[in-house]
Amino acid sequence: MRKTAAKLLTAAALATSLVSVASGTAMADPSVVPATQDIVGVGSDTTQTVLNQFSTDYNAYLTGLGDTTSPRLYSFDATGSATITAKAGTTAFARPNGSGAGITALNQTSPSVLPIDFARSSRAPQTGDLTTDIFVGFAKDAVTWSAKSTGSNAPANLTTADLKNIYNGTYTTWNQITDIAGYTGPNVTIKPYLPQASSGTRSFFLKAIGVTTLGANVVTGPEENEGTDVALNDANVIFPYSVGHYVGQVYGGHSSGTDAAGVLSLRSINGVAPLTASNTINPTFANPTYGRTLYNVVRNAEWTATTTKGIALRNIFGTSGWICTNGAADIASYGFLTIGGCGSTTHI
Amino acid sequence: MSRTSVRLAATAATAVLAVTGLSGAAAADTTPAPATAASGSVVVHESTAFIQQTAAAGVVVVPLPSGQPGYDSATGFSATFPATGGDANLQAYYDKIDLGGGLLFVNLLTGRTAIFKQLAFQADTWKLTGVPLGATAPVNLLSPAGDNQIGRTGTTQTLEASDLKVDAEGAQYVDGKLNTTFFQGGQSIGSLSISFTPAG
Repeated sequence: MRKTAAKLLTAAALATSLVSVASGTAMADPSVVPATQDIVGVGSDTTQTVLNQFSTDYNAYLTGLGDTTSPRLYSFDATGSATITAKAGTTAFARPNGSGAGITALNQTSPSVLPIDFARSSRAPQTGDLTTDIFVGFAKDAVTWSAKSTGSNAPANLTTADLKNIYNGTYTTWNQITDIAGYTGPNVTIKPYLPQASSGTRSFFLKAIGVTTLGANVVTGPEENEGTDVALNDANVIFPYSVGHYVGQVYGGHSSGTDAAGVLSLRSINGVAPLTASNTINPTFANPTYGRTLYNVVRNAEWTATTTKGIALRNIFGTSGWICTNGAADIASYGFLTIGGCGSTTHI
Repeated sequence: MSRTSVRLAATAATAVLAVTGLSGAAAADTTPAPATAASGSVVVHESTAFIQQTAAAGVVVVPLPSGQPGYDSATGFSATFPATGGDANLQAYYDKIDLGGGLLFVNLLTGRTAIFKQLAFQADTWKLTGVPLGATAPVNLLSPAGDNQIGRTGTTQTLEASDLKVDAEGAQYVDGKLNTTFFQGGQSIGSLSISFTPAG
């Protein structure tokens, strides 16, 4: 019995190793229409690419074990076609874009419950969320601000107070910034941009800098974590950016189409650089103010159930699940930090 | 057996004195006290199975002051360590909770001991750590596992872990000190409850 168990473990370890080495290319959207029993997610732009990689690698892992029956993992991007068909035999619905939209979709009951099982979220639980939603942590990210890599009027560093004053409309020109040593800004209008309203990165950034009411000059619009929007190609633009997503795009080789850093590069806050010398998230920067946990949100009733779905959710997202035991390489490759408490849950 | 008991009592007394002495040294710290001190505790619940396994192996694990042993008919044996500092943010997996007391491991058959002081729960690595007596670097001792639920009410944070496993590093260290082969990385010892309110 022990020999069998040991053999099984060796086989599993080998399979895991092979998957890690020979993992396939992550798909933007599932290449097949998921089956009814599969685990399907929508939501955050920040974590869409790493979830796509998880999907590819987890499904290959199951196949490598000869498991043809367990539910597979699929994830739909935040952007793409206007509608998606999440599972076979279900009606198409509007593609949720962002953490908030994903969570809303997860909880939709009218006119019908949507065929999704989890929402990707780059923000923590907040007032207004349902207590029946469970946020399952899997990695750590940080959010900073970005500006044009060359020719920008922005300094290399801003304080939290500067960012607050820029986004609440108190500072409208660069020369109003007077607390950055060696920087004298021109008397030129600052163009503060934010991602679309359902963006978890947007809500996290505004909370971090303490802004509840936006200045009249703040522009909402560009897709988050993309520096390819033509509006951002401006010497006076600043734009929040996921540090991890940036690392994945620029240093992990995970840029694709418009999902790229483009003309933008990351800047410091309070004199702390968001990146280490080896181009990973700076753990000091990822403090509780500018660091954030990345989650997948599930319904508690399903998470705790002994059904096929409940078992599958825990096998994928739980403390002993695939992501927490095999996903470290994917997490690092896509620019994020692993967390010791992977699979821990929280709720509002 | 009585000789073993005498040896154990002497060893434990020495250990307690040693740790108490260190606590006294720590009390000389001149850092200004916050308006409200950190409060709460970390409770290690030991399963009946683990207690039986340690007894069969001739190993006992004792919390040292200001840690407190406990027993409840519903939950069994436990060790409670008071939160004394740190600025842990459990939801953000950041910083740590400093704990009072220490941990004493004794090999009843030989009287050999392993003593840990400066216990802490590291929110970034999700491990309970301790600094071996006479050393400076912490050793990973225990890791929450199973179902981990993080909560927050006001400034008080909580963690309930349905399983608590021995860390491989701690297992190797303690086995080495006790000259046993009892501890294994991944060995389940029970569960963990944390309640923590940072200094304010």
